[in-house]
Amino acid sequence: MSKRKKILIALFLVFMIFPVYTIAAKGVLSSDAQMCLGCHSDKNVTKQLENKEKLSLYINGDEFADSVHNPTSCAGCHMDISMANHPQVKKITSKKEYSANASKSCSMCHPNDVLKKKPAHGYLITQTKAPSCSECHGAHYIKRITEWKTRISDIQYCLTCHKHDLSMKLGSGELLPLSVNETLLKNSVHGSLQCGVCHMGFSKTEHPLRTFKNKKEFSASVSKACTMCHTETQLKKKPIHADLITTAKATTCVECHGSHSIKRMSELKPTVKENQYCLTCHKHKFSMPLKSGESLSLSVDESVIRKSVHDKLQCSACHIGFSKTEHPKRVFESKRKYSISASEVCKKCHENANKLYEESIHLAQLKSGNLKSSTCTDCHGSHSMAKATTDKTLGLLSCNKCHGEINSVYEKSIHGEARSKGKENSPTCASCHNVHDVKVTARTTKMKDACLKCHKDADNLHKKWLSNHPITLSSFAGLHLDTIACAACHSPGAGGGVYLTLYDKKTGYPFPEEKVLKLLKTDSAGLVKKIDTNEDGNVDAREVWNFTQRLKRKGADVTLRAIMDVRTGIEAHQLTAKAKAVKECEKCHQTDSHFFKNVYVVLSKADGKPTLYTAEQGVLNSPFSVLPVNQFYVLGSTNIKLLDILFIIAVIGGLCVPIGHITLRIITKPIRHLRKMGKGGKK
Amino acid sequence: MKKIYLHPIPIRLWHWINALGFIILIITGIQIRYGNIIKLFSFETAVDIHSWTGFILIANYCIWLFYYLLTFKIKIYFPPITHPIQFTKDSIRQAKFYGYGIFVGDPNPHHPTPDNKFNPMQKISYLMIMASLIPVQIITGLFLWDPKLFSKWINLVGGIQIVDMIHVLLFIFFSAFIVVHFYLATLGHTPLAHIRAMFTGYEEEEEEEEHAHSHSH
Repeated sequence: MSKRKKILIALFLVFMIFPVYTIAAKGVLSSDAQMCLGCHSDKNVTKQLENKEKLSLYINGDEFADSVHNPTSCAGCHMDISMANHPQVKKITSKKEYSANASKSCSMCHPNDVLKKKPAHGYLITQTKAPSCSECHGAHYIKRITEWKTRISDIQYCLTCHKHDLSMKLGSGELLPLSVNETLLKNSVHGSLQCGVCHMGFSKTEHPLRTFKNKKEFSASVSKACTMCHTETQLKKKPIHADLITTAKATTCVECHGSHSIKRMSELKPTVKENQYCLTCHKHKFSMPLKSGESLSLSVDESVIRKSVHDKLQCSACHIGFSKTEHPKRVFESKRKYSISASEVCKKCHENANKLYEESIHLAQLKSGNLKSSTCTDCHGSHSMAKATTDKTLGLLSCNKCHGEINSVYEKSIHGEARSKGKENSPTCASCHNVHDVKVTARTTKMKDACLKCHKDADNLHKKWLSNHPITLSSFAGLHLDTIACAACHSPGAGGGVYLTLYDKKTGYPFPEEKVLKLLKTDSAGLVKKIDTNEDGNVDAREVWNFTQRLKRKGADVTLRAIMDVRTGIEAHQLTAKAKAVKECEKCHQTDSHFFKNVYVVLSKADGKPTLYTAEQGVLNSPFSVLPVNQFYVLGSTNIKLLDILFIIAVIGGLCVPIGHITLRIITKPIRHLRKMGKGGKK
Repeated sequence: MKKIYLHPIPIRLWHWINALGFIILIITGIQIRYGNIIKLFSFETAVDIHSWTGFILIANYCIWLFYYLLTFKIKIYFPPITHPIQFTKDSIRQAKFYGYGIFVGDPNPHHPTPDNKFNPMQKISYLMIMASLIPVQIITGLFLWDPKLFSKWINLVGGIQIVDMIHVLLFIFFSAFIVVHFYLATLGHTPLAHIRAMFTGYEEEEEEEEHAHSHSH
């Protein structure tokens, strides 16, 4: 036989034997299995589960025959099924439950202690909510793992388990989801990368078991992989990225950009709205260090914005200069300075409110250097901006942030109690102090206006008992209402005081302290010495006289107008029912009235902020005060002592005249008698 | 004894209403001003009485004024402008009587008649009181009664403190005056002569004195 023939014969034999070999290599179904497949080879064999899922009972006989479990046959796993009891009516709630139950048979051959040798398996076994064996490995068509690994791609290998609802409990108690959405992954910019590129150390053969304190630590660890491709130098070109990279507590790459669903930025930007774009990063917890050492939170709660009155606005409406394409880097000294500057933007739309705010004590305080004074965001919040007209408690809540002490008194007051009983028209802070043009009502000319806004009939009600007989005029009650703060009588127990405020006679308004300083060429500290010249801490009557005369010599036509008011804001707010109010005239109209024990000389700044100088009680009873305090006189209380002395002298003098005259008449009686006698003698 | 009808009924009524009113005003005034020392009434009652009395006395003052103006008797209050020297001399004579003559038994140089009721010193003081002090006291009293109603006027005067000071100064004067006035009222030929005359209208003049007086003329 020629060599060629031998080769042809050999090829023929190989050609003839190969199918036999392949048939022989293919598994052969057992008779049991064939019997089962009698029914289960029908693709239409299904079972309706209790949760309405449809469980397919179809088995591909060929594939099963090829599986590693073919020798086990059907009954090897489905131990509860026999020809005698099948088909049986079995209640199955869900596919999940079914596969969990079915997976119990796996442990017959694959005991837990063997499985636990593989760390990932070991972890899953201990988890109650972990996927069952069949969910990852499949059921009827399981291949030998070594064979399967060689055939399957990296991504598919990982997804075998990770496409299922897997999670891992972290040290913080958080659950870290371990499942990956295959579709999103495929559509992402990283869709073509192998899992191991980012999840370094993981492969088809390696699956170390790692633990993390919290999600943040996990994402930080994962984000390290990003720098493999996206170098720091490249990232630092963008100022915000540069800051985030250098800040220890900064948000990580994956927190903003996502992980498996990452999109190319140029693709992402046009598809998302501005607010969503900003929130991509700002929904996460991160902050920015300030010069003061404070850290300014930059995170924004999306749900809060949605509830706010600004929910339709774009971020850039307030954050001017920022957009999907622009993100300038800004530096702030402190949190407070940031919120003050942030409030500046509000006036862009809220022009009217801003005009009123410019009149307020808050802006005046701010301008005078008190950075704690309120700006727009302090009351209205920033992203949580509520509409004040629908939320009347806004006033109370926002004021309380700074004026909490007053609020606790207000709550116990007649107004606070009425409010807590559901009387919505009961006044809140703004009812008296205004909304944006917030004013101090104490010791101002508009003192009673705040109360009279609601108590419109106060004049008449007071007239009923505070009348001047025999003709009852409203002006008499009005005189009291003009001079006495409502709270002075309506806050029982409040210690009152008399406030002598320097007024400009010409304008009828308080003479501003700034003008006094200018006229006397001094500063605030120097002014104290110019008023309280003997520096004993109390301004006496002569000092009041000297001070006003000095101003008059400089051309200022000033006078001191007095009002009676409570001493503290707390006293001003503890208002009570009228039955408990001061009604006895003697409370004020008596020399030892406690209202006149506290006397203050008040200088108001142009913004209305008062400076108080404690004065002696005697200021109200001195002849020196007759001219400087010529507008204030209270019957029985502010008597000029000198006149009282004069009265005593006059009464004594008046009595002395008749007594002296009578005495002389008695002494001279003999003279008259003699004369009469003499006359008589003559006669 | 000679009887002269010196005080017609309107004047007697006016006088006693005024006298009672003054006493009430002084007492309630003291109560208002010194409430911490004197507790006769409450402040409110004192003010009410003071105000009521004040208004009554304003009306009373008007009665006096109209009576004297309508009857032209007002002239009895005015010193004779045409005889200033004589008036001055008479004044000194009257003062000398109270300061010296009364002790040595000199007769009162002044003999009241319905047309010349007051001695020169009375003329000066009553004219001052009735034409200026009482009107001022009435005005300041009204201002204090309702300071808001009269605020413009009060400011013209120089403020409520000044108004009160004037009112109190006059109160001091009237308090002292009323004591002296009462004493002088007892200096008739008997201590009750003038007082009785203020009730009856008839002033009694001693005939003897009259004789002596006419004799000296």
